[in-house]
Parts: sequence; C-alpha cells; structure tokens
Amino acid sequence: MIELKNIEKYYANKGVKSYILRHVTTSIKQGEFISIMGPSGAGKSTLLNILGMLEEPTYGAYEFMGEDVVSLNERKRIELYRNHIGFVFQAYHLIDEMTVAENIEAPLLYKKVSGPERKSRVADVLDRFNMVAKKDLFPNQLSGGQQQLVGIARALVAQPSIILADEPTGNLQSPQALQIMELFKKLNEEENITIIQVTHSEVNAAYGSRILHLLDGVIKEDLAVPQGV
Amino acid sequence: MYILNLKIALRNLLRNKTASLINISGLAIGLAACLMLLLYVSYEWNYDKGFKNADRIHQVMFNFYGADKNIRATGDQSPNTIAGALKEEMPEVEHISRILWPVKRLLADGKNSFKVEGRYADPEILKIFDFQVLYGNLDHALNDANSIVLTASTAQRLFGRMDVLNKVLRFENQVDLKVTAVIKDLPPNVSYNFDCLNSWKLFEQLNSWVVDPNWHNYSFYTLVTFKQGTDIPAFNEKIKNMSRKHAASVSTDSEPFVYPLADLHLYGRFINGKPAGGQIEQLRIFTILALSILIIACINFMNLSTARSQKRAKEVGIKKTIGASRKSLISQFLMESLMLTFVSVVIAVVLVELCLPKFNHLLDIKLKIAYAHPLNWLGVIALIFFTGILAGSYPAFFLSSFNPVQTLKKTVKLKSSFSLNFRQILVIVQFSFAVILIVATLIIYEQLQYLKNKPLGYQTKALVEMPHEGNLYLKYDLLKERLLSSGAVSAMCHSSGSISQQNSNSTGMEWQGMSEADKKMSVNQIYTGYDFVKTNGVELLEGRDFKKGLASDSVAVMLSESAIKRMGLVNPVGKDVIFQGVKRTIVGVFKDIIWGSLTTKEKPMIIAFNQENSDVITMRLNTEKDLKENLETIGRITREINPDFPIDIRFLDQLVAEKMKNEATLGLLSNLFGGLAIFISCLGLFGLSAFSAEQRTKEIGVRKVLGASVSGIVQLLSVNFVKTVLIALFVAMPVAYLLMKKWLDKFDYHISIGWQVFLITGVSTVMIAFLTVSWQAYRAAKSNPVDALKYE
Ligand SMILES: Nc1ncnc2c1ncn2[C@@H]1O[C@H](COP(=O)(O)OP(=O)(O)OP(=O)(O)O)[C@@H](O)[C@H]1O
Ligand SMILES: [Mg+2]
Repeated sequence: MIELKNIEKYYANKGVKSYILRHVTTSIKQGEFISIMGPSGAGKSTLLNILGMLEEPTYGAYEFMGEDVVSLNERKRIELYRNHIGFVFQAYHLIDEMTVAENIEAPLLYKKVSGPERKSRVADVLDRFNMVAKKDLFPNQLSGGQQQLVGIARALVAQPSIILADEPTGNLQSPQALQIMELFKKLNEEENITIIQVTHSEVNAAYGSRILHLLDGVIKEDLAVPQGV
Repeated sequence: MYILNLKIALRNLLRNKTASLINISGLAIGLAACLMLLLYVSYEWNYDKGFKNADRIHQVMFNFYGADKNIRATGDQSPNTIAGALKEEMPEVEHISRILWPVKRLLADGKNSFKVEGRYADPEILKIFDFQVLYGNLDHALNDANSIVLTASTAQRLFGRMDVLNKVLRFENQVDLKVTAVIKDLPPNVSYNFDCLNSWKLFEQLNSWVVDPNWHNYSFYTLVTFKQGTDIPAFNEKIKNMSRKHAASVSTDSEPFVYPLADLHLYGRFINGKPAGGQIEQLRIFTILALSILIIACINFMNLSTARSQKRAKEVGIKKTIGASRKSLISQFLMESLMLTFVSVVIAVVLVELCLPKFNHLLDIKLKIAYAHPLNWLGVIALIFFTGILAGSYPAFFLSSFNPVQTLKKTVKLKSSFSLNFRQILVIVQFSFAVILIVATLIIYEQLQYLKNKPLGYQTKALVEMPHEGNLYLKYDLLKERLLSSGAVSAMCHSSGSISQQNSNSTGMEWQGMSEADKKMSVNQIYTGYDFVKTNGVELLEGRDFKKGLASDSVAVMLSESAIKRMGLVNPVGKDVIFQGVKRTIVGVFKDIIWGSLTTKEKPMIIAFNQENSDVITMRLNTEKDLKENLETIGRITREINPDFPIDIRFLDQLVAEKMKNEATLGLLSNLFGGLAIFISCLGLFGLSAFSAEQRTKEIGVRKVLGASVSGIVQLLSVNFVKTVLIALFVAMPVAYLLMKKWLDKFDYHISIGWQVFLITGVSTVMIAFLTVSWQAYRAAKSNPVDALKYE
C-alpha cells in the first residue's frame, strides 16, 4: 500500500542543511499496525506527516496505493487524502467552535457526502463510541479521553484505509490510553484498517504488529512484534 | 457545508463580541457614509438626465468676443429672437422654445392665494421635455395666452385636488387664466423646474418690452431638440455667424452655439469658449471621499481579521488535516466577510434612512433611497460583493495559506515579519487618508471663513428686501414715508435688482479718453432712486449719492472704484459718460461692491439714476427696535398699500450665504465625512491595539513579574502604533498640501496655506491615535500577571 524509497528531509538554515530524515526506505502493506518509536527529535512526527501528505519530502519517492504522491497535483493529492487518510493528534485538535457532532461531520462535508448519508454515518459513529448523549457539547466541555475519542471518530467517519496517529495517548491517563489502543486493535483486526502510530510507550507498541525504530532520522530497526503477548 | 461554515462564523462573532462590534459598526458607518455620498453624487449626476430624450435636448449659448478677438465670456442666456430665427433657417431643428427664469408668481382661486415659481415658455417646451401629463392635453396647452399648466402639487395646494382642468385662476392679480393641463411634479434635480408654466404670449401681453425682437438683450433661455442624426459640431459651425448676420453691433460680438442641457449642470464652466469643468469637480471630490471612507473601513476589516489569525490558524490547520482544500478555506473566509458585509449593509441602510432627513435639510436637497428601482438593488448587491471581497480577500488568502503542520505545532510563530508589515502598511494607508481629510477640512474651513468675512462693500446686517410689485409702483413714495415714520425702517431705496446677486450688465459705455476697444468693456449695472448709499451702507470714496430736488441728478451716475481705475479717470466727479446712449454725469465714486461670485474678481460697476426700472425694495431695519416687531410693521403697512400680494421679505445676509452654497456644501460634507473617516480609523486602531494587547498577554505578564512598571508597558504597547501614525503623517502631508493648493488656485481670492494647519493636524492625529491605543495598553498593563500567565 505504501512504498517509501530513499526519503530525505532537511531544513536549510543559513546554508547549513540539518537533516531530519535520511534514506528512509520501507514498505507498508494494507492491514498492518505499525508503531514508530524513537527519542524526541528523531523525526517521527516528520515521517508521519510525510506519510499523511501534510509535508513533502525534500528527496525520494513516495507511492501511495500505486500513485506517485510527489508528482501528484494539489487537487489530486487532496482527493487521495480525503478518501484514504485519517489523522489523530496528541493534542486532539478539534475545532472549538463546532459541536461534537459537527466536528465528526466536517470531513464528510469536504468529501461532498450527501446530507442524509452524513447524518446516518455520524449517528453510527456516535453510537459506536457511546457518545450520543454528548453530541451537542463543545470540545471544551469534554474530558481529554473523550476529546481523543471524538478525534478518532472524526478520523474514522470518512472510512479511511489508513489511520495516522501522532502520540494519540500522549495526553491521557493509562486506563484511557489502553481503551484507545484496544480500539485501534479492533479497527485493525475487524475492519482491516492500516494503522500507523507514533508512540513512546512499549506497552502501546505491543498492540501493533510491527515497530519502526527511528534514530536521528534513520530507521535503525524494523521489528515484527511477536503475536499473542 | 455552507450552513456549518455560517454557524462557525456566527459562533466566532459571538465569541469575540468587541471585535465583532468594532468590525461591523466600523464597516456599517463607513458604508453608510459611502452610500450617502454616492446618493448625493448620483442626484447631481442625474441632473436633467431624467427626461426621455435628455441626450437630445440642447441649450443655445453664446460666446462673447472681446476687442482682441478672443472669447471673453460664455453665457447661457440668449436674445428673444434666436429661437425664431433658428426654427426658420435651420431644418435640423425639431423643436425650439424660449423659456424665462423662474419668478415667484401670485396664483389665486378666490379664497386661496399664494406664490409659486412660474416660468413663461413657448408651446414647444412641452415637446422638448416629456412631462407626464395627468389631466388635459399637452399638445396645445400653452398655445393660448390665457392658459396655464400646473404641477400636481400646485393644483393640490390651490384647489385641494388635482383634476382641475379648465378651472380659472387669477394670475399676479392681473389676468384670469384657464388650467389647460396638470402634470406630474418634476423631480428635484432638473434645471428648468417650475410650479406653473405660462404662455410666452402672456409674457408679451403683460410686458411690452419683450414684444420687440431684440438681438442685443441676452435675458432669456432657449432650449432646442434636433432631428435624429443631426451632426451637432457641424450645426454649431453653421449657426456661428447668426448674430452678426441679423444684427451687427459694435458693442457686442457674439457667436451662438448649442450645448447639451444634460452637460450644463456638471460642465457649466467655460474658459475661452471651451467647457472647463464645473460642478463635476465637486462630484469627483465626493466620489473620491466616498471610496476613501469605504477603503478605510475595509482596511479596518482586513486588519482586525488578520489580527485574529493566531486564533484562526488552528482552525485552518485542523481543517486542512481533515481534507479541506485551500479553495474551500478561501471561500469560507470570503463568505464570512460577505456575511459581515451583508449585516453591515443592512445596518448602513438603516443608518442612511435615519440620517437622510437631516442631511437633506443641511444641504437643501431631496435625496431618497429609491427602493423600487431594480438598479439600486443591483448596486447594493454589487456593493456587498465589492466590499466583502475587498475586505475579506487579504484575510482569506492569508489565513488559508497556513501550513497545517506549522499551525498545529504549539510553538508556531505566526507573526512573520511580512504579516506585521503588511498590517502596518494598511494602518499607514488608512491614517494617510485620514490626515489628508483633516488637512483638507481645515483648509476648506479657513477658506470659507475668509470668503465669508471678505468685505462685500455694503452692510448685510439688518438689511432686508422685498419685491417691488403691484401698487407699490404707484405708491412707492407713500410706502417710504409711512415706513420711515413708523420707525421700523431707518432707510430704504428701490433698485432694478437685488444687491445680493449679479443680475444685469451691459457694454458700450463711452467716456473721454477711451479707446475703441473699451466699447466692449462689460459693466455691472444697477438702476435706483434715492438713498441707495445710505440704505445699503455703501462706502463713498468721493462725491455724493443722488440728491432729491436736484433736477440734474436725473441723469447722474455713480461708478465703482475699479471702474474708475479701469477707465483711467482722474478726478472723476463732475465728468461725463455716455451710458445706454444717454449722457450722464458722475456724482460719486464708491468702494467696490461684491455683486457676483464671492470667489472671482469683480467687473466695473455703475449705479445709475432711474426711477422707472425697479424690481426690488431694500430696507435698513431700525436696530433699536425689536426685529420681529419691525418685520410685522413692514408687513402690515405693505399689505395696507398693496393688499393683493403676499409679504415676501428676505434677509440680505441669507441671500449672500446662498451664493456660497456650493462651497458651503463642500465644507459641510468634508467636515462631516472627514470626521467620520477619522472616527472609523480610530475604531480600527482601537480594535487592533486590543488584539495586540491580548496577543501579548503572556509577554506582559512575564514582564510584570520581572518588575516592569505600568507606564513602561503602556509605552511598549503604544510606541509601535504611534510610529505608524507618524509615518502616515509624513506620507500624507505633502499630498494634502499639493491637493489643497490645487483646490485653492481655483479661487481668485484665497488664503495661503500656513504651517499651522499641519501642526494642528499632526498633533491632533498623534494625540487621538495615542489615546486610542494607550487605553487598551493601560488595561492590559493593569491586569493581574498571574491571570495572564495562567491563561497560556
Ligand atoms: N520547520 C522546521 N525547521 C527546522 N527544523 C525543524 C522544523 N520542524 C521540525 N524541525 C526539526 O526536526 C526534528 C524532528 O522533528 P519531529 O517533530 O519529527 O521530532 P519527533 O521525533 O516527533 O520528536 P517528539 O518525540 O519530541 O515529538 C527536530 O529536531 C526539529 O527541531
Ligand atoms: Mg513528535
């Protein structure tokens, strides 16, 4: 599903290039659950953003579902993005002026999903996340864990084939964190959604099927997680 | 999606109440001001353009040549002969009609009687203008001498209803006239307005001097329409020698030409026989003023929106990560601004409606919003789009360009140097407009004061005039005796025209030592009886006024100082001149009277003794008595002597003020809208400083914890804004100087621009800006630092 070849990313500052990613080459198949780990500043978020098409690599080839992302034009790329990618952030990043339901509905609007269809999908997701009672609240009226659930619900509602999550549990207590991880695992297993998460926690990483260790922009290790732990 | 965006926009508005209030009210006030000015401009612009064939109506005008074969003047009045001659000799002419200036006419219907504006005209006037007839038939409505055409409101006033066809009314207490047609009231913006229209034949019956064809008396107006396809320049070439052919004259040499009536109001000034602007210049000023105010208001909008970018950045970032394209974000922000503009326009229309009556009253015009007119709706919609897109485009493109990854990082620094500079540039532009407007306002005010205080050569205070009419001709001496003995009036005289307004001039005066070319010297003329000097308070430099009992004074004249100078006379008193073919003796020399426009140099003037030619009675009120009582006494005595005419007393100072109407309008509007522009600018500055203070809450908190004083922080927050205003001052002042110098150069008499104006402008602008900004800064500085730090 994803082919990265020799991805490089650097920022030039006063003529000095500071590399953030170097020679990143890997491939990711549909249905994998990958954790990216590494010390702070290793380039994990940068890699995730490149995978999510929010940033462009300085060099290298990126193929997403057979399409060469780097050479796609803006319109096509957004199209691809809307249809396949869901993002989840550490800081939730909900829109403060929208209610829970509206936040969840927003991606469908950009995908130009019809009104009744939107209503039923939002209702489905709310139901599934047990948030029907909270649908008219604003984000600042929810707890952190609830906000992150809304964030995931928003990522899911567009029925993406891949979810990219940047430290999704970084701001949460461990019981809530576990809940989120269970959810990811379930999505991965039952709906075959590819999941790539950045995490600092070994426990979280253990939910996945594969771990990429990043150090100073280089993939140091690429391990399969032994199943049944 | 649109509905959701709309909802978000609304929630955003409600969340930031102050900002929204500033944004909407600033835009609404700006739009209201702009709308009002544009209404005025379109009112003036559409002068005489409301008639169906407006573009085919022309006025006959004349270029007058001086001795040096150059055009010395251009006039819009013509002799009573040119209409007939053109009709007879020029096949291109379709309809042509003479028409007289408007005169207050007494109409009576038994019990009701009052004065209305009336004009005499030839029957074809009804074919030239497409008046909307309500009753009767316009085809022959003015053919008979005893016919009269009324406007609807005149009929209503006189008879209490409008279908008054064939009713008989008494005209000027002299003749009975039959109503042959009632027409719809004319719009207020036509040059040839009237309340009633009379037949030219009646004019000739009542005034024998008009009957004889006279190519030398340029007193009337002539309007003409042409057959389709007439080549106007060629036609003008054809009629060039008309006057010379029909009546060669040594004293006047004139060439007729036709000029579109619709242009006359706006392009009515002629230099060397060529159109050289006119009212249009003022309209241009007002259009620029309107757009400036709109731009100032839009700049507010842009500034406040981009100032909020920090808050909106996160929204942009998130939306992009959930699939929003840049286009959809641009359209969201543009829609927000269109929505705000729409609300502002609605408020602006309400504001305009509230202010129009006052505005109309101030300017003495009749503006109204024509809601029924589809074009106006189109205009308003265009205005909404224009303003909404103009105001919203920068924030829309600016905000939508945010990189999602950057904006979602906590440490994002949005205050890139570009956005700040751009905002500062906008503030500079805004305040430059404001500064130019302040300078202009001050200079216009000074110039108007200067013109107002310029000596007129007579004393307008406690000076009144009324028409010389009816029995007052035969019983003038009785009137004078009774008024003087009543004590209400300390002096009075009669004259051929009002002293307030240039109304008659001639050429052909002769004197000893003159050159041949001097025959074409144009002089202003007033005919009068006794006590002219005493009544008007004219200053005599030499000699005396006409004296009763001196038989020789029946052919005496007085000349103005500039006439003496122009004629090169030494010891003029006692010398003779030949004026209008009569040999007359100079008995006095008076200081120049400003008779024409206050802004241009005076012609030489002659005051000649002639008791037969009189239209106006001028009276100096006795200032020792109560003004109201004086007027009542005059009214009572006049009515006793001349019972059929209503009393119509006018104050000379008001009549003189009317002459400055254009300048006064300009002064008024520039004051009003200049003030508004400054207010809107300050509103924007206020909002901007509020945001800046809010954005720097944390910084202020940290600084306070580190021990900064309140005044230190106020300074920190204000200095930047004051700096931008200072730059605006330096940019705008030279521009203002040049613009105003150009404006002043139009006046023969004008002030010189002093440095004080700029000092006042500079100090007051900086003061206002500083007060506006420091209020916010002070509030921010006074707040508890702990709260500020917690907030982050
Ligand atoms: N716009 C930028 N200009 C220069 N350097 C940048 C920019 N954005 C990121 N970096 C650098 O890139 C490096 C990698 O950043 P990244 O956010 O990918 O790290 P990370 O692995 O996600 O770290 P963390 O675990 O702390 O989130 C960092 O050293 C950061 O300083
Ligand atoms: Mg990171």
